[in-house]
Amino acid sequence: MYAYDGLDRSLVRDRVDEFRDQVARRLAGSLSEEQFKPLRLMNGLYLQLHGYMLRVAIPYGVLSSAKLRALAHVARRWDRGYGHFTTRQNLQFHWVKLSETPDILAYLAEHDLHAIQTSGNCIRNTTTDPFAGAARDEADDPRVWCEVIRQWSTLHPEFSYLPRKFKIAVTASAKDRAAIKAHDIGLRLGRDAEGRLVFEVLVGGGLGRTPHIGALVKKDLPADRLLSFLTAILRVYNREGRRDNLYKARIKILVSELGLAAFAEKVEQEWAALDPTEIDILGTELARIRGQFALAKLDPRPAVSRGFEAARTREDFARFARNNIAPHKVQGYGIVTISLKGIGDTPGDCTADQMEAIADLAESYSQSEIRVTHAQNLVLPNVALDDALALFEGLRAIGLASANINLASDIIACPGLDYCALANARAIPIAQAIARRFEDPIFEEAVGELQVKISGCINACGHHHLGHIGILGVDKKGEEYYQLTLGGSGAEDAAIGAVLGPAVAAGDVADAVEALARRYLEVRQPEERFLDTVRRLGPTPFKAAVYEHADTV
Amino acid sequence: MTSGVRTDRATAVTANALGGGEVVFLASSSPSAWTARFEDAAIFDSDVAAEAALSAAAASDFKVVDAYLIALDNSAGVWTPLSLRERIRALGPTTEPQLGPQARGGRVVEALQAADSAARSSGRIRLIRRR
Ligand code: SF4
Repeated sequence: MYAYDGLDRSLVRDRVDEFRDQVARRLAGSLSEEQFKPLRLMNGLYLQLHGYMLRVAIPYGVLSSAKLRALAHVARRWDRGYGHFTTRQNLQFHWVKLSETPDILAYLAEHDLHAIQTSGNCIRNTTTDPFAGAARDEADDPRVWCEVIRQWSTLHPEFSYLPRKFKIAVTASAKDRAAIKAHDIGLRLGRDAEGRLVFEVLVGGGLGRTPHIGALVKKDLPADRLLSFLTAILRVYNREGRRDNLYKARIKILVSELGLAAFAEKVEQEWAALDPTEIDILGTELARIRGQFALAKLDPRPAVSRGFEAARTREDFARFARNNIAPHKVQGYGIVTISLKGIGDTPGDCTADQMEAIADLAESYSQSEIRVTHAQNLVLPNVALDDALALFEGLRAIGLASANINLASDIIACPGLDYCALANARAIPIAQAIARRFEDPIFEEAVGELQVKISGCINACGHHHLGHIGILGVDKKGEEYYQLTLGGSGAEDAAIGAVLGPAVAAGDVADAVEALARRYLEVRQPEERFLDTVRRLGPTPFKAAVYEHADTV
Repeated sequence: MTSGVRTDRATAVTANALGGGEVVFLASSSPSAWTARFEDAAIFDSDVAAEAALSAAAASDFKVVDAYLIALDNSAGVWTPLSLRERIRALGPTTEPQLGPQARGGRVVEALQAADSAARSSGRIRLIRRR
């Protein structure tokens, strides 16, 4: 795992000292809220419904046991004993005090954690495949390239005041577990015919008010030219992106207004004019970074783990193995996803006790490494199959053994109106009500892969456009209503869901989702996922299932 | 909640405390005082009176951010914020009943929790945003 050097550390510490001074001046009244707000946002501190929320960066979603313990300590000492993992692979604390935030940031800095660039119109935390470094189908370890991007983009003087925020995601697999097509820039790393590492560069994806799927702007970009090509894109955007209208300021609007071909032409011109020796990463530096991600020695084990096979005769463990354990690139290992979506849980929430227990389990069974997924779950990437049962029991002891990954109750939900100052409607209770409908694991597994994603407003932090079933909270005359969309996907077959019909009342959303799942079971063909059936049949049979009874407006 | 006003609409003033971030209301106990207990909030029978009280409170030692007026409803016999958003601010997250002001319970907290239906179909709330 990448370790900070002296430069990284002093940068983070200087920032904490600076913010401590700014907070003192704000509390003393010498800075107004108007002057102070941009400063606190630059340090990840938002004002939400119940108070201040601190967003801590988790670069490309990679945590060590030590860092997770540090986050647990913050949750217990300065918050209310829990944190919330987000779709940006970050962690949010909902209950911090402004007066204590400098102490929190100083403590985080001691553990190489910070909140820099978690807000503002800059390049945000780069996200990636949570299976990075362990996935069987990857061309390279995408974390290496995320770290290259992190170093280049951190406090980048030219790109700290972009027209709007900017999000980059990287994958190195054909299977997209990082939703790269929903990002301002999506990068897919692969190999060309000669076996050289090359990027496919997608641009202009994004959700929110005007959702777009990213479009291919460059094929076969030699990997070592990545930073100059990113610089060219960012320069065109910085120069030509719209600063006059908040809702038209993202790069997706620039790309669609110019047209992809014209945008690509401008980028190529800009790229040709750049001096690559000033920007592109040197082979020696790349090798240094790569060295830090080298897989700690995982000795191949027998292809068949006797213990694992024996444990699979137990129904509960078999279900967990089916749904939560993915194949690892090293024989005899698995990638274990820990669901933060038990029935009745708040999606993405994790208590301090659970964080510490997961840190311990990672230390025992996964080389002290933990990943955060954009679906608000955690991953232990390097688990010997021989240890899987012990890990399962350890997870069960802390209430985190739900065997529902990618099933209907593995719901993405943003904080919504229970926490968020921008929300129209609640998301968490809706997620909980839906999950209860799939409490019977036999029914849930019969329905199979079904991604439900909920946002409390059009900002789409819950990625509702990408849900097989998407749910968007809207305010209708002071009441919570929910608009349903069908057929979205955040994977390699990315698509924006289509609105199904009139919004339904809060109390009818779980009925609607259950009706959609039951209708699918009636009309599906063998081997079809929910999404495939929706794509084959279109909305009509599903519409009928939902609107027979619902209270709509 | 000792207001003698008996119309079914009134106004309160809310904000977040600067240092701690907690939700506060202008208090009925004395001018310029803020309280974290909605049941101790001052109830104004007009926006004009609420605005005046808010201006006067600017001199208070207790500093707040993002102060604004909220509409209250009395259709259940107890003053409650008309909008769900403001009831959630006054109570805490609906999904974590042990957190936020709702944890202490009591008659007003229960009334706020039950107010779900009281605000139904009562029109869009009037949220007056102030700097
Ligand atoms: S989608 Fe809206 S309600 Fe949900 S967290 Fe984002 S801004 Fe808040």
